[in-house]
Amino acid sequence: MIRISNIEKTYYGKNESVCALKDISLDIKKSEFVSFIGPSGCGKTTLLKICAGLLDPTEGKIDFDYPNYKIGIVFQNHVLLPWRTVKQNVALSTELSNTNNNIEEMIKLVGLEDFIGSYPFELSGGMKQRVSIARALVSHPSILFMDEPFGSIDELMRDNLNMDLLKIWRKLKPTIFFVTHSISEAVLLSDKIVILPKRPGKIKKILEINLPRPRTISIKETQKFQEYIKCIRKNID
Amino acid sequence: MYKKKYRLKDFVILVLTFFLFIGTWQLVDFLFNIRKIILPNPLEIFLVIVNNFPYLLDHATITVIESSLGFLLGITLAIITGIIFTYSKLLKKSFYPYAIAFKAVPVIALAPLLIMWLGSGMISKIIMAAIICYFPVLVGTVKGFSVVIQDYKDLFKSFSASKWKIFYKLKIPTSLPYIFPSLKISATFAVVGATIAEFTGASKGIGYIIVNSSYYLETTMMFAAIIMISIVGLLLFYLIDYIEKKIVFWEAND
Repeated sequence: MIRISNIEKTYYGKNESVCALKDISLDIKKSEFVSFIGPSGCGKTTLLKICAGLLDPTEGKIDFDYPNYKIGIVFQNHVLLPWRTVKQNVALSTELSNTNNNIEEMIKLVGLEDFIGSYPFELSGGMKQRVSIARALVSHPSILFMDEPFGSIDELMRDNLNMDLLKIWRKLKPTIFFVTHSISEAVLLSDKIVILPKRPGKIKKILEINLPRPRTISIKETQKFQEYIKCIRKNID
Repeated sequence: MYKKKYRLKDFVILVLTFFLFIGTWQLVDFLFNIRKIILPNPLEIFLVIVNNFPYLLDHATITVIESSLGFLLGITLAIITGIIFTYSKLLKKSFYPYAIAFKAVPVIALAPLLIMWLGSGMISKIIMAAIICYFPVLVGTVKGFSVVIQDYKDLFKSFSASKWKIFYKLKIPTSLPYIFPSLKISATFAVVGATIAEFTGASKGIGYIIVNSSYYLETTMMFAAIIMISIVGLLLFYLIDYIEKKIVFWEAND
């Protein structure tokens, strides 16, 4: 379990200070898929970075219930090293932490076994993002942080990636901390959706999504799915 | 396939313009009968190069050795100081502005000093070439090591990478596309530096031939030497260009 308690983040400028996050408290269960949704500038990326240990909060703390937990991050931009092949990119985490994991198996899991020796410039946007997912997962992290990972990918490709992400999650069972600004993507994927409206970055609502699993794309046409979407839209403005 | 055809066409155009230029030169010389001492014609220059080739090659070799050693020395020092500057803000603040200011000094003016201090042998030429190569590469290195993007830093941090691993697995490759263009500039500068120092005082090298021929009004030999030294500069430039395309292959494809 991850327990986020009273997180606050203020950026101090020369003349004014900006409060990006305030009173954020939340529990995330093990292997839960939690999405954070809100307009640009609502502080969702800041919260992700604080939870991933990349930023220090001004107030509050985060407790992890895992012994020696590992994390993986997928950024909005693929952040692949252009001088490395697919395989070498996925191997990065094992090189940095001197562990030995099955790189090829992970590449197969994201469906890129035919591109194992290709360079990033030879891949499409969706494929690059698959590589960065494989790279984040290769050390079998307990928590996977995803910061709008499919934000720059077209709708059709996005559906495919979402389905594959669910498949991978079912198999490896990491806790997923997912930041997005697509409402339907959040409903399609999540167990729980946290709604963060614009300034001052307080949690407005936490919504449990009780749709059956395993989910398929066709779930988007059900009435319940549409109701969740309506509910989120109402709370986001 | 199409691309290859296009390139061949480009090459043919380049060769044609070259011959058009040479032809016009030869024709003007023929029509107006310009004195050889003012402007020799291409055929005369060509014959001088062919007849004195071993002599020219001997001297060109000296210049190549001076420029190459100076280049290697200059860029090594530049890359080392560039890296030190990126890791020590204090040193960068204290010395980098001077380095930038020194860049504006016409280093060519230092040639007589270097000859006075180091003699008219190869050392003074190597140092001259090194000084002239140093500054562009220093600026390129400082730039290259300061461009690392936040997401990449975060990525390495999320894998708990050590500072050393961030340095050689991230910062070095990221800096290469910024360093190589400065190396190409310096490669041609190195030849300029060595030649200038040879003008000032030398008994060997292409610069020596140019100055020496000017004393005897051997204009044709001067042209021959100028052509030799231009070829040396071009070869060094394209050598670095070739290495760049091999090492920084991802830039050309992006």
